[in-house]
Amino acid sequence: MKRLFFVILAVLACVVFATEYAVEDELLTPDPSPKIGGTLRLALASTPESYLLYGTLDSSSYSVIMGPMFSTMVEMHPVTNEIRPALAKSWTVSTDGKEVTFKLREAYWSDGTPITADDVVFTFQYFVMNKYARGNSIDRFTIPDEQGVNRMIEWVKLDDKTVKAILPSPYGAFFTVLSHVYIYPKHKLEPLIDKNDLGSVNRVWLSNTDPKEIVVNGPFKPVQLITDQKLVLERNPYFWKVDRFGNKLPYFDRVEYLIIRDAEMRTAKFMAGEIDFMAIASRDYPMLKEQELTGKTPYVVYATQPNQPTPSPIHISFNFDVDDPDLRSLFIKLEFREAMEYALNRQRIIDEVFAGLAIPDAGLILPSNKAFYNPKVEQLLRPYDLKKANELLDKLGLTKRDKEGYRLFPNGKRVEFNLLVQNSPKEYQDVALIFAEDLKKLGIKVNLQILDSSLVGQMFGAGNFQAGIRAFGNQPDLQLRKAIWQPGTQLYYWHYSTMDKTKTPPQPVLENMLDWEKRIWELFEKAQIEMDPAKRKAYYDEVQELYHIYLPVIFVCKGMNIWGFNKTLGNAGLTDDSMLRFTVWTSYRK
Amino acid sequence: MWSFIVRRILIMIPMMFFVSIICFVVTELQPGDFLSQYLENPRISPEQIESLRRELALDKPAYQRYFMWIKNIVTKGDFGYSFSYQRPVVELIWERLGWTVAISILTIGFQWLFATLMGIYSALHPYTPIDYTLTVLGFVGLSIPEFFLALVLVYLVLRVGGTAVGGLFSPQFIGAPMSWAKFVDLLKHLWLPIVVVGVSGLAGLMRIMRSNMLDVLGSPFVTALRARGLDEKTVRKHVIKNALNPLVSIAGMELPNVFSGTIIASIVLNLPTIGPFFYNALLNHDQYLVMAFLLFIALITQIGNLLADIALALLDPRIRIS
Repeated sequence: MKRLFFVILAVLACVVFATEYAVEDELLTPDPSPKIGGTLRLALASTPESYLLYGTLDSSSYSVIMGPMFSTMVEMHPVTNEIRPALAKSWTVSTDGKEVTFKLREAYWSDGTPITADDVVFTFQYFVMNKYARGNSIDRFTIPDEQGVNRMIEWVKLDDKTVKAILPSPYGAFFTVLSHVYIYPKHKLEPLIDKNDLGSVNRVWLSNTDPKEIVVNGPFKPVQLITDQKLVLERNPYFWKVDRFGNKLPYFDRVEYLIIRDAEMRTAKFMAGEIDFMAIASRDYPMLKEQELTGKTPYVVYATQPNQPTPSPIHISFNFDVDDPDLRSLFIKLEFREAMEYALNRQRIIDEVFAGLAIPDAGLILPSNKAFYNPKVEQLLRPYDLKKANELLDKLGLTKRDKEGYRLFPNGKRVEFNLLVQNSPKEYQDVALIFAEDLKKLGIKVNLQILDSSLVGQMFGAGNFQAGIRAFGNQPDLQLRKAIWQPGTQLYYWHYSTMDKTKTPPQPVLENMLDWEKRIWELFEKAQIEMDPAKRKAYYDEVQELYHIYLPVIFVCKGMNIWGFNKTLGNAGLTDDSMLRFTVWTSYRK
Repeated sequence: MWSFIVRRILIMIPMMFFVSIICFVVTELQPGDFLSQYLENPRISPEQIESLRRELALDKPAYQRYFMWIKNIVTKGDFGYSFSYQRPVVELIWERLGWTVAISILTIGFQWLFATLMGIYSALHPYTPIDYTLTVLGFVGLSIPEFFLALVLVYLVLRVGGTAVGGLFSPQFIGAPMSWAKFVDLLKHLWLPIVVVGVSGLAGLMRIMRSNMLDVLGSPFVTALRARGLDEKTVRKHVIKNALNPLVSIAGMELPNVFSGTIIASIVLNLPTIGPFFYNALLNHDQYLVMAFLLFIALITQIGNLLADIALALLDPRIRIS
């Protein structure tokens, strides 16, 4: 018995020494004397539906899988968004940009099995590129080859620790999209999948799985799930990161997610000191900050420069294909949309709707995104100026007015349109109200059409609206938002005639695009197959400028991110650039 | 008696069938479906939504889906899968039933105990200051919405420095084996939901009890009992027994409340009951989950009514079942 114990110990020691650790940088571990141990307490909005990222579309599952439980081949630095090695310790790109060879780190699953190229190929084959998997990413790994035919990226195992990606053509966002691919263990999952029914991947590792069955390659592994109450994770002894002093990460022994459905209750629990870190709603910020300033609270709150996809920046759109012929010819005129931007009182919206916690100059890309943001858009934003707006509308020939003071079309019809808004979040309605108020001053009647969000989504999706207020999240790389901002795509909903919906998949219709839309379309296509970051930035810079010059949509503002920290957390807070500093593997309890 | 029970049970079958149709139509009338929440998600392509729609059979007409569902229930006892959890709905509901029943029975027990006691006291001392005070208190409880009362109480607890808000246990006790400390911790948390849910129903029940009592107190048989020289304690016993009759018939209606009555309070107070889960399923258009739960409630209501009738028959010999 004793001998067996020593054998196990020796094997374990070998594994631990063989691991090629990655060293976490100073940005995330500024404190030279962290304490090891203890429990990190976080909040979760509902019981995760699955432990398999690709089998679910549930956001609670996403938040426990991404970061705490699973690792990727390459990862984005949590503060700077730079791509850095993760499970792949290094890679080489061939000179034509079409082959990327990854060397995998000597690292282990939480049950001690080595992580190999087989796991990578398996993850891509059965999950990422499996069209029956609910959370697949086929779109992101399918790109046109030189002939313009869409083809999938291929993955080939060279040996246990080497894997090669063969791209149909160079693909600029390759590493960014790869940083979202969480690698799963082949040796645990392959036996659970029915290979004749690829939809079966959606039914493995669901919420009724014994957490101890789950094998991970991230900092923590699950040990206990109590339905609708708590999810407990424990340190993964095989995690492959160390801090810059040689301590094994993570610092905490355990992570406990309290499952709390109601947002008010989450805030209450945070105030009571039962939750260490969470995102705070902007409406709670003034109250929490005021309490914090009394010095008696167990927490601190910070408003940071937005650097996350959510909260989504709100925009106003005008349907270029609207049924009403008068409105159609009006909406498509640039002067009209310019007048609309002059009539948009961004500052008032930020002050009154967002309690000052929003930035006006966020369009397609956030100012905090050093890799892609084009600061020129700040000069392109048209400031609130009703006089200019009035002049532009007069120039369009809308000079006649009726008895109530509303402008008339030359044919005598009143200039009025419906503005479609969903009923929640409430900010959307508030923006609509302020905008409609200003348009009334210009002599344009706006009828607010406030409806349930699912219905509104359907109406936008069918192009069944006149004007609307909507929001889509930002992403670190514009390539990942191609499905929204490139003309001729499913979410380019304000000009659906640029897309042929009868074909599957839908095809762009170039002849229906305006000149500047054609240019945007081309720029997206060019940036996609460009590997040189500087050239990609130039393409995306132009897209950003075109969006602000020609106003396919008018961006309103983007809410700031607000974070609450328990005061006892170390390595957590803001960096010198006011960016969020927090990860589950580098924070500790002081 | 037995033939009555059997007949009532047989009537339940077509009733359940009608209920299922009504529920299905109502959920179908809700705009959108399970997949509409993903329409705006750029991660999910339109083709993927189409294939999901086929997988979940949402592309089929509603009546076909309904019959498929009913067929599976009748032939296999299968109430369908939850769209989002991809697990049988019965299993999901079952997982959450324990705490639901426990919390609800406790709150209902609290409610009935206090309501009858308050009602009896009020009726025996009508138009006294205490009667008025109890009535006012009851009505205040009735008129404050549950969620608001919950928030106010949570705020007050936090204000005085307490931390036992929300949920049933402090985090360190969730999932821990039962112990004395854990039990005490449960009590520290449990009073909140019991008060919040219980208070709202107090006034109604109390007023019913009070008026029943007053009715019975004024009836000739009480005068007769008194005239025969029975002491006041014995008279009271008979009065209370008679006054409880109408309450028993309402009690049948309480059974479905055990499962659905605490939805809002559970959401606000973060209780691990079926309520918030059901609410979320409704928002997500997780149709079979919603339907199975509604059917379950309908069945429980019918069973509750049946039990109430039986209890009445046993309690009151004057009632004859024909």
